[in-house]
Amino acid sequence: MALRSLNLPGVGTKYEFETDKGDTVAIFFTKTGSIQMYTLQKGCSTPSAAEMTLVEARRLGNILTGAIMEADQESVEIAFSALADLRVTIHTYLIPKSIEGKAIEDLQIRAKTGATVIAVCRHDRNIINPPPAFVFEAGDAALVIGESDQIKMFEREIMVA
Amino acid sequence: MEGIVLALFVCLLLALVTKYLSVPPIPFYIIAGVILGKSGLGIVANDEISTFFSQMGLIFLLFFMGLGLKLERVAANRSAVLTSGIIDLNINMLIGFVAAYLFGFSLIESAVIATAFYISSTAMALTSLIENRKLMLREAETVIWLMMFEDLVLIVFLAIFSAGDQNPIILFLKIAGVLAVLYALAHWGKEFLISILDRDDELPIIFTFAAVLTTASFSMFIGVPETMMVIALGAAFATTDPDAFEQHARPFKDVFLVTFFVFFGVTITFSGGVNLFMIAAISLLAVLSKLISGLITGIVIHGSALSGIEIWGNTIGRGEFSIALAALPGLSLAPAVATIIAAMVIVTSIAGSFTAKYCTNLRRGILRMGRKKPSVRHVH
Repeated sequence: MALRSLNLPGVGTKYEFETDKGDTVAIFFTKTGSIQMYTLQKGCSTPSAAEMTLVEARRLGNILTGAIMEADQESVEIAFSALADLRVTIHTYLIPKSIEGKAIEDLQIRAKTGATVIAVCRHDRNIINPPPAFVFEAGDAALVIGESDQIKMFEREIMVA
Repeated sequence: MEGIVLALFVCLLLALVTKYLSVPPIPFYIIAGVILGKSGLGIVANDEISTFFSQMGLIFLLFFMGLGLKLERVAANRSAVLTSGIIDLNINMLIGFVAAYLFGFSLIESAVIATAFYISSTAMALTSLIENRKLMLREAETVIWLMMFEDLVLIVFLAIFSAGDQNPIILFLKIAGVLAVLYALAHWGKEFLISILDRDDELPIIFTFAAVLTTASFSMFIGVPETMMVIALGAAFATTDPDAFEQHARPFKDVFLVTFFVFFGVTITFSGGVNLFMIAAISLLAVLSKLISGLITGIVIHGSALSGIEIWGNTIGRGEFSIALAALPGLSLAPAVATIIAAMVIVTSIAGSFTAKYCTNLRRGILRMGRKKPSVRHVH
């Protein structure tokens, strides 16, 4: 697989490669800010195309790099090779009924699991770094950060309890 | 002043509608100008302010074109760019020139019409490739390089048309001198330019505006074509940080260029020997001659006439550069020249937006017909 990149004047940057099976994938970062992805099946003459916004393209990238994505639960593991291969997992969870109405400090999330709630999404608004007294409500989604063992612990201790 | 406000307001509405329908806005700006101006309702007329705005529009259009010129990339792609470019240039120039001359225009007027006839709209071609999702087609690259070649040819013609009755050798020396200064500034002042562009206060915008205006007025002062010099300025700046310059010059270009198109429409008169037959003939020829050059380019570059249809479909629209030629300062052309070019731009750009959308279907249809009757070779 050889990746070719090409700067097309007035249009943007093109990345193209052929897969081992002979299909061709081309990505264009256009000057208009949109990203177009074309796939051309081997033996076909007309490609099919999808146009994405930057956010959508990132999402696609996350899927392709192997992060687990489900409808409501997403998780990304980031490895910092410069920091002794530090691996950090960020996971989103929908708050279950069992912990509605409870505060972060009452749940003792950090003491019990080592993971930290770094943001909560409530009614399409984001609350970054919620204080210990923060009380979960129905419909909240929490963003939790930690090592993968801590995240697993969080799932066992907090989400199920 | 009220005229400009009214014109800008109409353009705002037109921009909204054309973006919604994804059709090119340029023909509608011109039509709006025609309706508001001399030949229509007569409520908007050219004044000092609108003339200044229009001049700025032309200058920023050309500066932008200069920023987009990638000379080193053209040089790297020389053979492909040259082959398709020369086919396109010869066929369209020749047909345009002969047609205009037969309609009774003078030699110089025919030359201007021929150039406007030849030069496709880069903005429309590139936008249609992106919007119709054709970037992956191999013909798309040919179209992109074709547009670049046309831009380069335009620079040469701008120099010729703006030369007037100056001694060509002295003019050439003057141009070479200014070019050398611009490139020297861009080369040795690169770090300084980038440090200015990196600031996030008002400085980069003021600098960009001032640089373009200074170049234009200095060129006028020493008598070299300012149109050509702002392109050169753009090309010189493109060696530093073209994206930043584009970002800072875009607001000026967008506003001034819209006024330029509207007030170009305002000045158009339908007297002076232009009739519907002439408009129809030139516009039809403009579509046909691009078909011929497209087919030949398709056969020569891609080995297929069907590729030529794709090239044709995306290059029919004439636009900003044709209008720029018609509005070129310093050329005393008959008003009929502007009228015929405006009409051609309106017809071809609207026709072009349809062919760009549907030429792939046309191509598939031809392919299918060809398969059904293998004994008959369908070219188009």
